[in-house]
Amino acid sequence: MLLEQAVRVAEVILAFACVQQSLENIRGLQPEKALGFIQLVLAILLFAGVYPVYVEAGLLLVACLLLHRFQGPYNGGSDCMTLLVLLCLLLSHLAPSRAWQEIALGYLAFQLTFSYFQSGYIKIINRDWRTGQALTDVFAITAYPVSQSVRRWAQSPRLMLAMSWAVIGFELLFPLALLSQQSLLLALTIAVVFHLGNACLFGLNRFFWIWPAAYPVIIWFQQRLFVH
Amino acid sequence: MLKLLLPVIFPSWRFFSGIGPSPRIEFAFMQSENDSPEFWQEFRPRPLRVSWAEGVRRLLWNPRWNENLYINSCAERLFEEHSPMREQEIMRRILRALQSGEVSCAAEAKYLQFRISAVLREDGQVTQPLVFVSRPAAIGGIC
Repeated sequence: MLLEQAVRVAEVILAFACVQQSLENIRGLQPEKALGFIQLVLAILLFAGVYPVYVEAGLLLVACLLLHRFQGPYNGGSDCMTLLVLLCLLLSHLAPSRAWQEIALGYLAFQLTFSYFQSGYIKIINRDWRTGQALTDVFAITAYPVSQSVRRWAQSPRLMLAMSWAVIGFELLFPLALLSQQSLLLALTIAVVFHLGNACLFGLNRFFWIWPAAYPVIIWFQQRLFVH
Repeated sequence: MLKLLLPVIFPSWRFFSGIGPSPRIEFAFMQSENDSPEFWQEFRPRPLRVSWAEGVRRLLWNPRWNENLYINSCAERLFEEHSPMREQEIMRRILRALQSGEVSCAAEAKYLQFRISAVLREDGQVTQPLVFVSRPAAIGGIC
């Protein structure tokens, strides 16, 4: 995938994610309702590919205003990833040379890889994760399970142990997927299923849309590293 | 602003690194500001189950749940230190739920209060101590 193609596909997915977020913001209280309307218009323009530099700068400004409004992210990691994708895509347009463009997008690819790896690393060094107790507590104690029936999954220790190691294994091994295009595509498919699972079990729907916005960039990055 | 932006530009992806105390929010109506409420209701209790169709719909449209996650993060901040802004954010959202009819008003209620308990595992036992009680807020013309 060429750099320009990766940027454009990433922008389309990002635009969709921003539309989804903006519609939810419009349902909220003021001032996020007003900011949501602006975000919606800008996201539609981004989807259409109209003046991406100005539109991304506008979306970044709205994201910063929301960050200030809530004194931090409204939706945790998904807001961080939205800002990061926006910032790196904007910098790739503003970059004075091809090398700086590649650095901006390379940083996004690094953060995407690191988001999985670091998450896996902090789990494997935690005994409770290795024994399945931490995931049991996620289901039994935290406010994340979307229903009482999902909360009851905590009563299956073998399932919790298997799921814990599946998540740890996937997250830790993700960087190795960069070694070939086939392994990367496989890893990204697993990642989509992983985010879908998180959306269905824990209601983390915004993660499901925003993480894939960085996937075209990591596909380009892998080719840049190993093909050129 | 830089303090808010830096963790976003250089994020730490420590999802579920440790399972800390998890907030549960309850609210109660009062007739006067000095009443001690006896009947507390859980705010947005979890449904028994979520159908597949509902799950698919929530992939695209899940504002209430995302608001719940925000309320939880406000409550977690209140565990650490008192913040009038976080307290107000939670109260505004409960009042709006009341205004929209999502939550029913109690008869002759003039004030509303919420409290937060923390569900946690200690020495293998799950406990739920009370950690925060809000100031009463006037319901005004909502009910």
